[in-house]
Amino acid sequence: MTDTTRATSARMPSIGRLLAAQVSYQARLLASGRAITIGVGLPVILLIASHGQDTHTDATVIAGYAAFGLTLTAWNTYGVRLVAAREAGVLKRWRATPLPHSCYFLGRILATVVVAVAAGAATVAAGVLLYGLHLTVSGALVALVAFVLGAFAWAAAATALTAVIPTLEAAAPTLMLTYFPVIIISGIFGAISEPHWLSTIASYLPAQPLVHALAISLGHTAGHALLSARDLLVLAAWALAGLAAAIATFRWEPHRPTQQRPAQTSRRQ
Amino acid sequence: MSAIVVDKLTKRFGGLAAVDSVSFEVPEGQLVAVLGPNGAGKTTTLEMLEGFLAPTSGTARVLGVDPHRGDRRWRARIGLVLQSTSLDAELTVRDTLAVFAGLYPTPRPVGEVLELVDLVDDAEARVGTLSGGQRRRVDVAIGIIGCPEILFLDEPTTGLDPEARRRAWTAVENLNTTGTTVVLTTHYIDEADHLANRLVLLAAGRIVADTTPERLRAEGGPSTIRCRFADGAPLGDLPATLAGHLDRHDHSLVVRAEDITAPLRDLLGWADRHHLDLAGLEVGPPSLEDAYLAAIGEPLATDGTLP
Repeated sequence: MTDTTRATSARMPSIGRLLAAQVSYQARLLASGRAITIGVGLPVILLIASHGQDTHTDATVIAGYAAFGLTLTAWNTYGVRLVAAREAGVLKRWRATPLPHSCYFLGRILATVVVAVAAGAATVAAGVLLYGLHLTVSGALVALVAFVLGAFAWAAAATALTAVIPTLEAAAPTLMLTYFPVIIISGIFGAISEPHWLSTIASYLPAQPLVHALAISLGHTAGHALLSARDLLVLAAWALAGLAAAIATFRWEPHRPTQQRPAQTSRRQ
Repeated sequence: MSAIVVDKLTKRFGGLAAVDSVSFEVPEGQLVAVLGPNGAGKTTTLEMLEGFLAPTSGTARVLGVDPHRGDRRWRARIGLVLQSTSLDAELTVRDTLAVFAGLYPTPRPVGEVLELVDLVDDAEARVGTLSGGQRRRVDVAIGIIGCPEILFLDEPTTGLDPEARRRAWTAVENLNTTGTTVVLTTHYIDEADHLANRLVLLAAGRIVADTTPERLRAEGGPSTIRCRFADGAPLGDLPATLAGHLDRHDHSLVVRAEDITAPLRDLLGWADRHHLDLAGLEVGPPSLEDAYLAAIGEPLATDGTLP
């Protein structure tokens, strides 16, 4: 039997297997890069710096720093890496393979979710070990759901945004500019005095519902609320809308023109 | 059976016809070089055959399938090495190839691919630490790891040093001998001459010649005598058969003739009479480069040329 006939008669790898392999591959890449340490390390360092000698800290504070680590990873680290890969031609190389396009960028997003959740969990662990956070099992499970929804929402929205970022140089400024105002008005570093209309807007953006959902679940005690369905729904809506926008706008080719002809915007096949 | 059938394929960007009514067929197992200057339409043609660009008009069939509608099963049967792509730098060559191998139904063993592209010694090196030539060979390795029936190579050796180019050539030749159809674009004439048994010359989006290296060379016109003389050489005494070919400004002689025996004999006789050393004498066959330049400058009436 020749190579050719073997290739045509054999079964293609299943989509599930391809997606799992891609998530594992992308997670390995993330874990081997230094960029990821900022999402895990910075929130813990800031938490300790601002509450050093305290023996007890409110669950809302822990929730804010955990959301900070998660969003730093799922928005900034992820977005910059995606633009870098696209502009270097890495995405173009993957597009030239039989990997379904959806598997590639879902793989990237899901690997980011795993690492971003780990970043958030690191802050929660610091809260438990250093600041007397009493975490119930049901509270931890709901927090995990909020982490996953939040990370997916931020990473999917970042994927959509990268389509309009033309160069690697423009990536960090664009992502920062769209990030810090949102997390500040959302009270990630503590509630701020702001007009009512601004807090209403913040309640529909993906940061404030994340902090709120985490604060409720992390601070859960018997007889009190465990989850905020409204916050989780907002995060789920961002995840779905972000994914739809990402699918519609995803770019495989670098923005820089090749041989003086228009760059191609490609959608998944 | 033809691996590729292209009929009046055209791609326009605005008012510019990047590819203009191109037609050709590639039989299975052939190694075809698509040759032409920058902007000739090589990459655009390849991108239509690879399914990344929809033609404005005309048709293409690759392994019997319209490339723009090719599914992943079809894509698993072709291998691509594109211009200016790049790879994630963090993993080793072996790990990277293993990840790509997992995308195909019947991949070549990673060890076999490493041997084919001569990267056995670099298998444990991280991709980010490799030289440009080594990375290009990893790219070729990824292109062939799925056991493709057709391999498309878009300027596979641009930017490589001579040794790296030779190694890349060997990899392509090895692959072609296993039965893989290879279509490569290049603007290096020596590369096309070395590798291909067929040349398709593109200029301004059109095929100007569809030929073989031997036929193209034969159409390159007459053989050539070139000689630059030292100052003070008795040029006034040159035989009449040569004097008309002399550039008196820079004391050089260029004679092109179907049969160079007579002018060469006259030149040697004249040098002998005047005890001159013809240190700068060059006598050459028609060069493939001359033939190529003539072909892309104006359409040739070559056998197999498509209008």
